[in-house]
Amino acid sequence: MVHLGRIGRWAFFAFIALYLAIPMVAVILYSFSARWTSNILPDAYTLAHWGEAFRDERMRNAFWRTTWMAIAVLLLDIVLVVPAVYWQRVRNPKIRVFAELSAAIPFVLPFIVIAFGILKFMGRSAPQMLGTPLIILLSHAAIAFPFLYWAVDGAMAAANVGRLNEAAVVCGASPLQTLRHVILPNISSGLAAGGMLVFATSFGEFALVQILAGSRFENISLYSLDLLLNTTSQVELMAVLTILMFVVLFGISVAVVYLNRGREGGFLPGSRALVTEKNE
Amino acid sequence: MARDGATVLPGGAAEASAAPRRGFLASVGEGLAAWLPALPLMALAIVFLVVPTVELVVRSFYTPDLGWNLSFWQDTLTSNGSRKAILTSVRLGLVCATIALVIGTPLAWAISRMVTAKRSTWLALLNVGANFGGIGLAFGYMAALGTYGMVTLAVQKVISGFMPPEIGSFTSLVMAYSYTNVPLFVLLTLPAMGIIRTEWMEAAETCAATRWQFWRYIGAPVLAPFALAGWLLIFTWSIGLYGLAYALGRTASTTGELRLITLQIGLTLNTGAGKEERAYVLAVVLLLLATVALVAYRLMLRRALRWFT
Repeated sequence: MVHLGRIGRWAFFAFIALYLAIPMVAVILYSFSARWTSNILPDAYTLAHWGEAFRDERMRNAFWRTTWMAIAVLLLDIVLVVPAVYWQRVRNPKIRVFAELSAAIPFVLPFIVIAFGILKFMGRSAPQMLGTPLIILLSHAAIAFPFLYWAVDGAMAAANVGRLNEAAVVCGASPLQTLRHVILPNISSGLAAGGMLVFATSFGEFALVQILAGSRFENISLYSLDLLLNTTSQVELMAVLTILMFVVLFGISVAVVYLNRGREGGFLPGSRALVTEKNE
Repeated sequence: MARDGATVLPGGAAEASAAPRRGFLASVGEGLAAWLPALPLMALAIVFLVVPTVELVVRSFYTPDLGWNLSFWQDTLTSNGSRKAILTSVRLGLVCATIALVIGTPLAWAISRMVTAKRSTWLALLNVGANFGGIGLAFGYMAALGTYGMVTLAVQKVISGFMPPEIGSFTSLVMAYSYTNVPLFVLLTLPAMGIIRTEWMEAAETCAATRWQFWRYIGAPVLAPFALAGWLLIFTWSIGLYGLAYALGRTASTTGELRLITLQIGLTLNTGAGKEERAYVLAVVLLLLATVALVAYRLMLRRALRWFT
């Protein structure tokens, strides 16, 4: 890098910027193109595809399904993770060993492998679960929980939850009261940041939905794939869908960056845990 | 801190009163109280993460009529298709991670030294790349570099007869994967770039060190563990990508031109084609690769973070 000349440096940046921008620009142009033959740019533009996309019932259903599932996964993960992290910090540090080990599984294991495992295990023990929204809810909650776990754990460490809890207990608060009135208000930004990542994980997920439910629970990813592989379909609708999905995920990532501003230990995933582990 | 809190337990008074005669029930209750709020999460993780993983490992070694054996492994590892899938997946992971490292490290360094406004623009662009993935990216890739893609048409104006890499070929996958991988790598390693202080460079310069010497003896040793940790993450994620690979490579995969571990598993499950027992073995191979990479990642991270404690 240092040895590259000025022109080389400029070319390097220009290439990367173009590489990152062009696919997105192409998709956006597609969504507004009335006719696109063999020119670099569309021959004519229209807004019609956006209207069509919003009137398309299949798309509306897919969007709705994906959204409520992501919200349900988020709520379930909050209910499961927050009490566990609270308890691990104030009462039983051994919970951490188990939680960190489980959190490593979706972090390294590809979702397709997890989906395969769940399919085989559930197919043997509870086949009626397959294809239901319930199995998607539970499996999404399982693969997404680490994001919330790490975020809440970090927020609780920053809020000095041990001390807060001590004060609350001395004042005669029950664990539930402490959690509701003392802990939650103090970890809200961590909860929001982690929660958004949970939402995004479920929202953009493909492998588990395809393997465990397939067409019985058609979310945006599945519908997109169908539009993409089915050559007779409208490319323009696919473009609109791609942009909508991207806007949601991009918006979430910007919000997460904003919520995490000024926080330390953001080096690489797991580094905060390592640093605190060393310091404690 | 956590341990300070643990000395004053919620409900501690009740336990203290039961302390003189600690019966069986009391100790069960105490054990339960220590774990109860975490039990629902543990149950979910066990049923949907731990047991399914174990299930695959067991199924790759066990058949009801033969008991424990290695026949599935032998069968899979001697089959050309599966061997090709493993080798291609590993090669894809290596190539993608190396591209991310080679392009991402200088890019992260340059961005870390930019003025705020310029840096924000780059961060926004990188976030586009990092969030544009899966099926949508496959479509974006085709719209740019497909047979009638924008870039293809533009290049054909200059070089007639230009053809982009075929969709579903190894090169096309590397190019599409890198679209997300390079931004991810930069976003992961960017905070580490702040460790190198401008003062260090000035100090080295005062001591008559050349730029190369500075990077050789100071810059590289400090940053290398971070860069290698990033490399390991990109490797792990690349060998496990499924949605993007499926959207780009399904056709090439059904004809046998492209074989990847994730696609072999996905195709077996979706179409019923291929032997299911091979999918177990391939899943466990992926599990092993990912575990080795994770352990290496943890070691690398520990090394990288020694500057911070």
